[in-house]
Parts: sequence; C-alpha cells; structure tokens
Amino acid sequence: MEKKERLKAFYDKYLSPLLRHKVFSLALLLIAMVIMFTVWAELQGRGNHFFKATTLRNILNSLVVSSFLAIGAGSLLIAGHIDLSQSAVGAFGGIMLATAVARWNLPWFAGIVISLLLCAVFGALNGVLVNKYRFPSFIGTLAMASMAKGLMFLFSSIGNNGLATNIVFQNDPLSFIGMGRIGPVPFGVIVMLLFFLAYGLLISKAKFGMKVSLIGGNPIAAHLAGINSTVITYLLFMNSAVLGGVAGIFNTARLGQGALVALQTSQFTGITAAILGGISFGGGAGGMGGAFIGLLILNTFQIGMGVVGVNPDWVNVFTGLLLLIALCVDFVAQRRVSKA
Amino acid sequence: MEKSLEFKGIGKSYPGVRALDGISFKAEGGKVVALLGENGAGKSTLLKIMSGDQQADAGSVWLNGEEVHFPEPQAAITAGVSVIYQERQLIPTMSVMENMFPGALPKTKFGLFDKKRLRREAAEIIDKFGLPIDPAEEVGRLNVAYQQMVEIMKAYRRDSQVIAFDEPTAPLTDAEINILFDIIRRLKDEGKVVIYVSHRLAEIFQVTDEIVVLKDGQMVKTLNTAETNEQELIRAMVGRDIGDTYANLSRNEDFGEVILEVKNLTTPYIKDVSFTMRRGEVVGFAGLVGAGRTEVARALFGADPVISGEIILDGKPVAFKSPRDAIDHGIALCPEDRKEQGLTLRTSIINNVAMSVIDMLGKSIFVDQTQKAAIANSAVEKYSIKTPTIEKTVMELSGGNQQKVILGRWTNEKMTTKILVLDEPTKGIDVGTKAELYQRVCDFAKQGLAVMFISSELTEVINLADNIVVMHNGHVTGMVPRQDATEEDVLAMAMLD
Repeated sequence: MEKKERLKAFYDKYLSPLLRHKVFSLALLLIAMVIMFTVWAELQGRGNHFFKATTLRNILNSLVVSSFLAIGAGSLLIAGHIDLSQSAVGAFGGIMLATAVARWNLPWFAGIVISLLLCAVFGALNGVLVNKYRFPSFIGTLAMASMAKGLMFLFSSIGNNGLATNIVFQNDPLSFIGMGRIGPVPFGVIVMLLFFLAYGLLISKAKFGMKVSLIGGNPIAAHLAGINSTVITYLLFMNSAVLGGVAGIFNTARLGQGALVALQTSQFTGITAAILGGISFGGGAGGMGGAFIGLLILNTFQIGMGVVGVNPDWVNVFTGLLLLIALCVDFVAQRRVSKA
Repeated sequence: MEKSLEFKGIGKSYPGVRALDGISFKAEGGKVVALLGENGAGKSTLLKIMSGDQQADAGSVWLNGEEVHFPEPQAAITAGVSVIYQERQLIPTMSVMENMFPGALPKTKFGLFDKKRLRREAAEIIDKFGLPIDPAEEVGRLNVAYQQMVEIMKAYRRDSQVIAFDEPTAPLTDAEINILFDIIRRLKDEGKVVIYVSHRLAEIFQVTDEIVVLKDGQMVKTLNTAETNEQELIRAMVGRDIGDTYANLSRNEDFGEVILEVKNLTTPYIKDVSFTMRRGEVVGFAGLVGAGRTEVARALFGADPVISGEIILDGKPVAFKSPRDAIDHGIALCPEDRKEQGLTLRTSIINNVAMSVIDMLGKSIFVDQTQKAAIANSAVEKYSIKTPTIEKTVMELSGGNQQKVILGRWTNEKMTTKILVLDEPTKGIDVGTKAELYQRVCDFAKQGLAVMFISSELTEVINLADNIVVMHNGHVTGMVPRQDATEEDVLAMAMLD
C-alpha cells in the first residue's frame, strides 16, 4: 500500500509534468517509431536492418536542408506569421550561388554572400507588405513566392540563349559543404545542430524570443506594452528568407548544380515539421526543440518506410495521416488546457 | 406541468481551484432568478454547466422534474435550455431570419429553402416582440442591442423553456435596457424559467423575483427580491459591510507640482484638448462612450498620431513616437479592453507582468529568469492575485484578477511609472473588487503617481477623482473639482453640444 502511494507521489512529482511537456511526448513517439521499424525490418528477415549507425546518419543527413526551413518558418509561426515564399526564395538563392560560381567565376564565399543578401531583400519586402501595407502574411508571401520563382528562371536563362536550365559547376569547397564529413559526422549535420542550438536558445531563453512569443500571442497587447513588433517582424521575415537561402545553398552544394526544381518538395516541410513539433499555428507557443523532433519524426518515418519497403506513394499518404494524428493530439491537449 | 430548472449539489473543480461546491437551488417557471456574486464566485461556471459547455463533477441538474445530462451545448439546446452570452453567437454576414433559424431553415417541396416562409415565420416572432427589425437585414448592420434581441428571439424560436442571460445589459444604453426588460417580463409571463446574471444591483431590483447569492463557489443565501435591499446583498456578496465605499476611502491630500500639461492637443479623433495633472492627483475623465477620452489616453501614450498641440512632461515638451517611447518616459496605460488590448491570454501571469520590461531583465541578451519570477511574484503578492502559481495562463483568471495582472505590470519594481492611465478599469468587475480598486487608485496617488481615471460610470468618476475633466464629441466641455461636482452638472456637460 505504502509503495503504491510512493509510486503515485513519484508520478505526480516527476512523470506527470514531463508527460504534459510536448517535447517529451514527441520523443516518446519517436522512440516508439524506431522500435516499430526495427522490429518490422527484422521480422521481414531479408537482411534489412533499421537500427544501425548508417541509418542514423542517413536520417540526420536528410534533415539538413529542411531543418533550415523549419527553423525560419518556426520562428515566424511563433510570432503569428507564415512565410509561403521561403522555399521559392531559397531555390532562388541556390541558383544565384551556382550562377555566381559557374557563370561569373566568383569565389564560393562571394557567391554565398551574394545569394544570402538577395534572399534578405526578399524577406525585407515581405516585411514591408506585412508591416506597412498590413497584408495578411499568407497573401503577401504567396505573391513573393511567385516572383522569386520567376526571377530564378530568368536568372538561370541569362547567357543561355534565354533558355532556363540547371547550372552545373565544379567547386571543391562547395562540395565539402554539401558532402564533406568531419570525422564520421557530415559537415551539414554539424551546422544544422549548431543552428538548432543557437535558435533554440534565442527563442526560449533570450529577450528577443520572449518578445516573439508575446507578439504571436497578442500583437496589440504587445505593442501597447512597449514591444517593438515592427522591427521584430522585419527581422523574422528576413531571417526566414535568409534561412531559406541557407537551405538553397546546402542543396546546391550537395547536387553540384543549381537546380530549377530545388526545394520544390520541401515547400511545406518546414511548416509541417514546426507544427508537428508543437509550434501553434495561431502563434504564441512552441520552441525549436519541438521543431527539431518534429522534423526527426517526419524523416525517420519516411526513411523507415523505405527500409521496410513500403511503396513510396503510400508513404506520402501515411505521412499525411501522421500529421493529422499529431495535430489531433495537439488539439485535444490544447482543449484540455483551455478547459482547466 | 410546471416548468422548472433545479440544481442539486452541483460541484466542479479545476486544478487548484474549487469553482463550485454544493450548489442547490430551484428556479421555477414564471419567475426571474438572479445569480449574484463577485468575479470568481462561480456564476459563469454554473452557466457553462447549464449550457452543456462544461460538465459538473458532482450533483445533478433537473429539468421539469426529470434528471438531465448535457454532454455538449447541442444537448442543452435540444432540451430547451438557452444561454445568452455577452459574446454574440450570431453570424454577422447573414440575415436576421437566417440567424434565427440555424440548421432549421424551412424547405419548399423541392427541397430548396423556402425564403418566403422563413421571412413570414421570422416576422411573426419579431412582431410578437414588437421590435422594429427587418427580417432580411444583415445582422452585422444592427446595433448591439438589436443583435442581442435577435439572439433572444433565436432562443424563443427554439421554444426554449429556460433562458439564461449573462450580463446582458453591459453594452446597452438606458433606452435599450428598458426594451430588454420588457422582453424579459414577457418571457416570464409566458411561464418560462429566466435566469439573470448581472453585477448591476439596480437592475436586479428592477426585473428579478428571487436572488441566489454565490461566493467563492458556494451558495451564501437565497433571497426574495422584494424583501431585501442593496446593503444586504452587498454584505452577502463580499461577506463584509462595505458601507459607503467612497466615504471610507483613504485619499491622498497633498498634491505635488504639475507633472503633465497638455495644451490644445489635436489628433484625428480629438480637438483642442487641454488639461494639467499634478503628482498625487487623480484626474477623472467623464463623458459618454465615444466622447474621445480613450483617444486622449492613446495620444498621450504615443499610440495615435498627434496633429498639433503640446504635451509637456516634467516641464519638457515631448513627442512620443511609440508606446515604448511613452513607457520609457514614465507613462503607463491600462487599456479599455483587457482581453483584446491588455493581455496575452494564453501566456503565463509571469510573462504578462514582465512584458513591459523585457529589456531590463538582466544585462545579457538572455532573460534573467530569477528577476522575471521575482517581479511576477511580488505583483501577485502586492495585489493578492488569486492563483496557485505564476505559471498559470491569464486566461484562467477571473476579470478582476486579470486587471490586477495589468496593474502589476505597470507598477512592477523595474518600471518608473509617473503617470498611470486607467481606461475603464472597473468594467465587468464586481462590487467588492471595485471598492478594492478604488483604494488602490488612492494608494497610487499617495505614492506620488498622477492617475488618469477614465470611466463611463458617472458616480464612480465624480466620487473618486480629485478633479474631473468632462468630454463631449472630442472636446473638453468642462472641468470641475470633486467638491463642486454633481451628477446632474457633469452629465449636462457630457451631453452638451
């Protein structure tokens, strides 16, 4: 009897608050998923193994490009905005890097700087639309996405008889950025983890992050309490575009060419992962840890499905289902909080 | 069969709070029963249980002598229980008649919806109520009072036997209140069970027959309206005799030098507004809704653009470009609409208190969590905010406690507030908390703050403020010290053209 009570006390004190923590429950989901795929692959008995070092590396490596999108999109979502132009601007940045290196014969770092600066301009324009002209961010950024895409095609056609093409190049530093490893760890994975760490601290511990959440919670109250939402909104839109550019750069560096179809499939990956990780669609809640685990769940699921040999078309259907389930859990949890 | 709604031993708990405990009373048809109590007494929770929005942990609800369960709002509506909330549950872009028949639009024999019949049936009900409303009018174009009437007619159309009103008169003018009361009396005469929740004692004496007084989730007593008086009700609600609230205030007697001088201030909304404030002085702003008092506050706070005129703070002319600018110069604003403009509802008390001083929480780019918790804790202590922890979201607090969170923000240790602007601070707050707030205002003055007190409740402004500025139509129409102020004079100035 006494033991039972002690267990209950232990549960109330340590486990129950943990369970209520979004990141923790997502981590449990991830572990369940790993166990499921491991058992599934072993049961098939075809010599496929899910649980091994290369799978982990593959999963982490596959996160790199979309992680930058998720960080940028997540920070904006917390402030109550959405950026639909992010992947188009990122693809534009990727093409700009290839153009600078292959056509203008600039060094790789100059290409990166030019590409990121141009992305920042797009972000600033998004900021102008939302801040100055009061466009809903959904509409303004959609228009910007179309412009970025058009400009990308135009740029890739310059000096090629007006024909838009992929731009191939050979550049050692860039291929290190894309494919290189430091020890056993891919370079991109290291950069990704550093970014998650830095943005995680910025959002959940820094003054800036506190302001971002409050703006997302109630922009009017934040303004009247003296938080400069205009400046912060500009910064977040520029940040989203620049991180889109970073994703574009990694993508270009990996492929060894500026591809016109770059990031097309990632258009919603960033936003999806952020929401999966508990960043509220209405703003004001969530953090980078959740976005990271959201991304991890998404990609583990897709790669795991590949290992056990599920038809890729079904994988898309199941990914949609997974997102629905995650949103339902989030919704139910939120309802419980608001009733309490 | 006599209509009735009975509660037997209703209990409801939220984490850390016992919201309702052993509530038992019976409301009979043909009578108006008032639910009275301070904020947080449990009135809203009881209404939510009644409407199926929430479920009780203990006890039972009996409708016309039979036990009923409402797992969701639709179940309550089907059983004939309608709650008219302050927030309208109407679709503003649709017509009056469509709003009155949600999900029950009459159909023609071809299955299309029968607009003629809909119009006729809606018109019948509107005529019965004697209201000048066109059934085809878009609801969004009606004024608040008529929107409320549409809501009542919607409940009436569903043949609801129980109709509960949650603070129905808050947005209404006197004339509109009379129309509402006529309708309530009509419902009563038809034998319906009417439940009426309000803070305004005068109204309770006008329309109700019985009064159920709640305090801290428990029933204090049930009274016959005809056999009681205001003093007894207030005593029952607050558990103490507040007597003459204003006479007992401990006021600040000595004023300091002039801290604020506003000269001919003109914005798109106000014209030629001039007044002065001294340290330790409470300056009341009286006037009708829309007279421009909120706009004076906003201009002062850097939230509205200034066209011409001067603001002289501490002897120096200032021009604020943003609220931040004004805050840094020692001006604080508790806005009119707490939930929309004052608070981030889904965020913790701690963040809501600290949000005006984020940059002062430690020297690095990171938030000093200890400092943040310290200012929130001292606000909770200073204003005795009722909450188990400072991590609780503001949404879960009662209106009075939410107001205290905002006061806590503007008077926390890191602020250097010199002028405190309170815009309708007592709106939706019960009698007991109001009295507490009046004393707080006097205490602010004693600490040397200049307080700008904006209120639409005339009695409150002329009894609390040291000097009263009266506004009408964007202009200042009068200034009177408290000693010379009478309700008649101030009202005349507020309505004078």
